[in-house]
Amino acid sequence: MSFYKKRAFRPRTGFFKFTCCTGCGFELAYFQKSLEETLRSFDFTFFRLASSAGSPEGPFDLALVEGAVTEPFQIIELKKIREKSKVLYAVGSCAIVGGIPAIKALSPEIEIERAAYKERFFGLSSTRPNVIDDYVKVDGHIRGCPPGERDLEEALASVLLGKKPEFIEYSVCMECKRGGNACVLVEEGLPCMGPVTNAGCGALCPAHHRACYSCFGLMGQANVPALKGKFRKLGFSEEDIERFFTLFGALEPSSTLI
Amino acid sequence: MKIKTEYLGRVEGEAGFRFRTKDGRLEELEINIWEPPRFFEGMLVGRRYDEAPDIVARICGICPVSHMLTSIRAIEKAIHFEPGPETQAARKIMAYSQIASSHLVHLVMLALPDYEGKDSMMELLTEKGKDTFFKKFIRVKEVFNGITRAFGGRALHPVSMVVGGFTSAPGKKEIDGLLSGLASSESDLEDIIGTMSGLKPPRLETGSELVCLSDDGGYAINEGRIVSSMGLNAMEDEYEGLFEEREAAYSNAKKTTLTQRGQIMTGAMARVGLKSGRLGTKARKLAFSAGLVTETNTIGKNKNPFHNIMAQAVELLHFAQECKNLLEIARASAGTKAGTGPLRPSPPPREGEGKALTEAPRGLLYHSYTLDRMGTIRKANIVTPTAHNYLAMEQDLRRLIEDNINLPAEGLRSLAGMLIRAYDPCFSCSVH
Repeated sequence: MSFYKKRAFRPRTGFFKFTCCTGCGFELAYFQKSLEETLRSFDFTFFRLASSAGSPEGPFDLALVEGAVTEPFQIIELKKIREKSKVLYAVGSCAIVGGIPAIKALSPEIEIERAAYKERFFGLSSTRPNVIDDYVKVDGHIRGCPPGERDLEEALASVLLGKKPEFIEYSVCMECKRGGNACVLVEEGLPCMGPVTNAGCGALCPAHHRACYSCFGLMGQANVPALKGKFRKLGFSEEDIERFFTLFGALEPSSTLI
Repeated sequence: MKIKTEYLGRVEGEAGFRFRTKDGRLEELEINIWEPPRFFEGMLVGRRYDEAPDIVARICGICPVSHMLTSIRAIEKAIHFEPGPETQAARKIMAYSQIASSHLVHLVMLALPDYEGKDSMMELLTEKGKDTFFKKFIRVKEVFNGITRAFGGRALHPVSMVVGGFTSAPGKKEIDGLLSGLASSESDLEDIIGTMSGLKPPRLETGSELVCLSDDGGYAINEGRIVSSMGLNAMEDEYEGLFEEREAAYSNAKKTTLTQRGQIMTGAMARVGLKSGRLGTKARKLAFSAGLVTETNTIGKNKNPFHNIMAQAVELLHFAQECKNLLEIARASAGTKAGTGPLRPSPPPREGEGKALTEAPRGLLYHSYTLDRMGTIRKANIVTPTAHNYLAMEQDLRRLIEDNINLPAEGLRSLAGMLIRAYDPCFSCSVH
C-alpha cells in the first residue's frame, strides 16, 4: 500500500485511433479486467472514446496508437504524436501488421474503392494501407486483434515501473502445448496458422477446436515455407494458402511468404 | 455565429459537426463523419464464404457479434444451410449479451457524463465510498462479457461462432458460473438502470419513422420482418427495394432511408416503441414508468430521441432476464466438460445469394453476399444502423438548434454533442 501511496508518477497518456474498428480502444477502456487500476494509474489527457475533454497536443509520457495508416493526414498526425511522446506503443494488429484493413493492399485501389462508393470516390484520399512502424520509431508492440491482455498489462506496468517491457515473442504452438490442446493441424488436418503466428491469445482458436487464423500476425523468424508445404500436403490449393496468409498478413513482403 | 466540433468525444469513431446561425436563424448544419473508410465491400470480394464472419467482425469493436451473426445468416441462406435449434439459441445468447454490454458501455461511459456535468466517466473514479457506482459498473460489465466469452471464446472478436454453428460450447459448470454471476449482479444492475432511467433528458420532438424487426414469437433480434411506426411490414429479402443509400459530399458515411419517405430511426428507441408488448414483465414496467410507451398506445408515440438512453436501460433489463432464461435452457443440454458440443460444422459452398437483417445494439444491420460455386464472395453489401440513423441524427440536430437558438455558443455545442451521443452512433460501422 505504501508503495502505491508514494508513487506520484501518473503518466500523461494519449490514446490515438487511426484506420480501424476502435476495438483496441474498447479493449483498454471496457473489456480488459484491470480497468479500474488502469484508469487510476494513468492520466488519460487525450482519449476521445472515453472523454470529450483533453487535447491531442501533448506532451505525453505514453502514446498508444491503434489502427493502420491509410490517409495522408494521419502521417502528419503520427509524426506529431511521436515528437511529443516519451514512449510510443503500437496497439493491435492494424497498427502493427496492417490487420484486416490491409486486405485493401491486395487489389488495385480503384477496384476496392469502387465497390463501396460511386460519386464519393472522387473525394476520397485513401491510400494503400501501411503500419505505423513505416513512419515513426515505435517503442513496443502490443499485439493482437484485439490486443492480448497479458501484453497490454506488461506494457502499461512497464511504463509505471520505468522498465523495458518484455512482450511475448514465440508462436501460438507454445501456448497451445502448455494448454494441453490436441494439435488441430496434425490430428485433424485443419489449416492452423499457429506455428507461424505470434502468441498472446492463449491459443484461443485451437482450444475452441478451430484453426488459428493469425489475428496476432506473423511472429519474427516464422518458418513460412515449412507451413505452406504442410498445407499443400494436406491438399489445400495455392489460392487457399494465399488467403490464409493474407487475412492478417496482407502487408508482409512476399519474399517471406514463399 | 459559427460553431464547430471537429472530433466529437465519447462516441465510437471519428466524426464532428458544424453549424452557422445568423440573426436567430440556423443557416447551415452538417454532421461530418470523417472516419477513414476501409472498403469492406471491396475487401470481401475474392475471399471465401467462411472467412467473412472473421473479416466483418473487424468492422466494429463494440458490436462485432452483430456483424458476425448477420454475415453468418446471410451466407447460410446463400448456401441453403439451416442451423439447428441449439445453434440458434446460442446465437441469441451471443446477441443478447453483446447488446447488454454495448448498452452498458454507452449508458455509463459515453452518455452518463453529459448528465453529470462531467467530461468523462473517469471523473467518477473520485467518488468516495467502498462500493462505488464505478465498481458496480465493472462487475456488471464482467458478467455480460463473461457470457459472450463463454459462448464465443472471446468477448471482443469472438472465434468459435462460425458459418454452420459453433466450434465449441461451454459446459455445465461454466454455465453455472454465468448464472450465478447474473444472479449476484442483479442489485448492481438495478442501481445502474435506476440511475439511467431517472435522468431528465432535454426536450425535443421530431418526426422520425421508427423501424425495427418484429416476429410472432419474442422480441425479434436475430431475424424478423421489417416493421415501422407508419405501417411498413415487409420481408428482409425486400430490403434493397425498400431502402436507398445516398452519398454525401462532406461525409464518408452514406445516409440510408426508406425510399421516398423521410427520416427513420432504428435501435433501442424503435424496438421498445414498437414492440414493448414483447418485453419481459420488469422491462415492460420500466418502459411505462420511463414514459417510453403508454398503456393505451404502445406504438412509438414518444418522439424525443434523447429518450433512446432510457430505451437502452429498458433493454439492458430485458436482455439480462433473457440471458438468464436462455442460459437455464442451455444448461440442461450442456455437457459436463467445456468444449463439447456441435464440433466444427462446415457446410459446403454453393452458388447463391443471401441477405440478412438483424438488430445490432444500435439498430438495423443488413448484409448481403453473392457467392460463386466455389464459395468465393463475388459481391457484398453492408448497411449499418448508424447509416440508417444518419439523416435523422442530422435533421434532429437541426431541430434542436432551432429550438434553442438563443443559447450561448457553448450551450449549443454541448447540447449538440449530447444529442448525437443519445443516438449512440457507431461511426466505424457507418463508414466501414
